[in-house]
Amino acid sequence: MNKAETKNILVYIEVADAAPVKVSLESLAQAKRMADEKGEKVIAAVIGQNIGDAAKEAAAAGADKVIAVDDAAFADFNLDVTADVMMQIIEKEKPEAVFVGGTQDGKDLAPKLGAKCATGCASDVVGMKLDEQGNIDFTCPLYSGTVLEDVVIAEARPQIATLRSGAFKKLEEAGQGEVVAESFTVADDAVKAKITETVKELTESVNLEDAEIIVSGGRGMGSADNFKLVQELADLLGGVVGATRPAIEDGWVPRNHQVGQSGKIVAPKLYIACGISGATQHLSGITGSDYIVAINKDEDAPIFSVANIGIVGNALKVLPVMIEEVKKIQAQ
Amino acid sequence: MNILVCIKQVPDDSVEVGIGADGKPAIDSITKVVNAFDTYALEMAARYKEALGDDSEITVLCVGPDEAKNSLKNCLAVGGNTAYLASDAAFSGSDPSGVAVIIKDAIAKLEEDKGAFDLIFTGKEATDAALGQTGIYLAEQLNTGVITNVIAIDVKDGKAVAKQETDEGYRMVESDTPVVLTVSKPDYDPRYPTIKNKMAARKKPIEGFDASILADPSLVGDAGAKVVAIKTYEPPKKEAGVKVQEESDEDSALKAIGMMVEAKVLG
Ligand SMILES: Cc1cc2nc3c(=O)[nH]c(=O)nc-3n(C[C@H](O)[C@H](O)[C@H](O)COP(=O)(O)OP(=O)(O)OC[C@H]3O[C@@H](n4cnc5c(N)ncnc54)[C@H](O)[C@@H]3O)c2cc1C
Ligand SMILES: Nc1ncnc2c1ncn2[C@@H]1O[C@H](COP(=O)(O)O)[C@@H](O)[C@H]1O
Repeated sequence: MNKAETKNILVYIEVADAAPVKVSLESLAQAKRMADEKGEKVIAAVIGQNIGDAAKEAAAAGADKVIAVDDAAFADFNLDVTADVMMQIIEKEKPEAVFVGGTQDGKDLAPKLGAKCATGCASDVVGMKLDEQGNIDFTCPLYSGTVLEDVVIAEARPQIATLRSGAFKKLEEAGQGEVVAESFTVADDAVKAKITETVKELTESVNLEDAEIIVSGGRGMGSADNFKLVQELADLLGGVVGATRPAIEDGWVPRNHQVGQSGKIVAPKLYIACGISGATQHLSGITGSDYIVAINKDEDAPIFSVANIGIVGNALKVLPVMIEEVKKIQAQ
Repeated sequence: MNILVCIKQVPDDSVEVGIGADGKPAIDSITKVVNAFDTYALEMAARYKEALGDDSEITVLCVGPDEAKNSLKNCLAVGGNTAYLASDAAFSGSDPSGVAVIIKDAIAKLEEDKGAFDLIFTGKEATDAALGQTGIYLAEQLNTGVITNVIAIDVKDGKAVAKQETDEGYRMVESDTPVVLTVSKPDYDPRYPTIKNKMAARKKPIEGFDASILADPSLVGDAGAKVVAIKTYEPPKKEAGVKVQEESDEDSALKAIGMMVEAKVLG
């Protein structure tokens, strides 16, 4: 796309249970901040079925214009279909940038659009600013976030990016954009991969991203039975249970509790890590936490390097005492 | 089945990377390994080949420096039949769109001898930058379907049928072959090489490709990169707090709770 022709920021709004997902609203907010700086507009695209309310929500969350594509044919996410509709919108709107929330599907959609537009894509963006040329300077994590890299998409347009969940704040007051219904058709031959079945195995939904308190357990908890201590403390504190990959692979807790590089990136007020060594793939998911308490029997465990309080001890002995103490505090 | 597995060589991801004196990530001293997700992809391909029990062939391809031959040798010891390295100074600085172009052109070269590939595996993402882009760019450039986050694969009646892991469960996804599959972590681990396989792998040749395979050299390397790196730096370090280690674990727990109340994170 010709750089000179492009303007405005297009945001793809992912919808789950009839509402925009949190990171889509965060992306919208960040798009507005960037667009305001350039004196440009934010366009949101909502694609799905019965997305009227979600479109309205997007219009109140930072979009100047919301393109609502409400069609039974788009009820479920399909990468080829969504990318095709988005391409039609991109060709029409000629946006300077396209922001996509960094969900699983979002991380597929962004490079798909990048390839179709012959442009580049910044991944998992945790910060951004305008550079002197008016390009967006995207900050992206490398090596599980132990290094940060600033990148720009200097010439190709649009500048495509996936934004990391929790990295940007939603807007409190965003004004009221307009909702415009549009319809698109997708040619059969555009759909190369078809979803034949969608199965929800995990019925309990786990909202780690929004949790204010998370109590997580790792391999050091030793067994599914011991892991119940983690659950008990989390329940008591009104928090959510998190876990490392080994705790999940051992079947102590379902997969949607995973925190880290290939799980959820979290930013609670309090994160309690029990029997977790602190591998970079886990730490990269928790460094946004305000306060970290770690329990590990190995005083050299890397988790202690990020913990506000590091309890050197046996989690199986420490946790029952903590549970009793919290009960006492709550009874007061 | 004619199977291709694309692998990237990355620094051992269990070692923490910092910034070196030159302002770049200090990775020279870190052992280079096959990207974890690519080892899962190769294992999935090897298991699929074994399940078929026929003369299916697994070709392993890497775009990288000469030292990446080591990683390719390791792949030959755990299921790869032949291995190829695409290496050229002109490739350096490529972004995922450029790497995908190199892989696409290498595929065209390989297919002259081996015939068309049915399944093209990549990892879900490389552990260095966790972009998760290359496989998707590749599929678009090859004009094939792509199925991401794959944890199981089968081919029925000429169609690839893959199980795609999702947050809450899975989707079954179908595509004509050839298809690009980006592999997530299945519920098994990659095999270790036997000594015999290791010895045999060491003797196998690794053939190479250079920039002469490219249909359009302007798409790769620094010049072809759409995404340009400006600078790398370390994030502000979170300061380590206080360690609590009293006479007994019970005492430590009590003390920690007291500190948490004081810090107003509890109660
Ligand atoms: C590609 C890739 C992606 C990954 N993604 C993730 C991810 O998203 N999230 C994730 O968590 N991991 C991920 N991992 C795995 C990661 O590398 C580590 O292996 C994992 O985080 C370690 O989990 P752990 O701390 O539970 O186990 P371990 O490293 O085995 O640590 C257990 C700890 O428990 C301590 N301990 C033992 N007994 C006790 C006790 N009684 N009381 C107190 N402490 C005790 C030990 O001292 C030790 O420090 C990934 C790995 C790869 C290769
Ligand atoms: N240089 C490379 N050579 C071969 N395959 C690669 C290369 N870079 C990336 N890939 C493949 O693309 C996948 C995703 O990489 P990335 O987009 O960098 O996260 C990897 O798991 C590899 O399978």
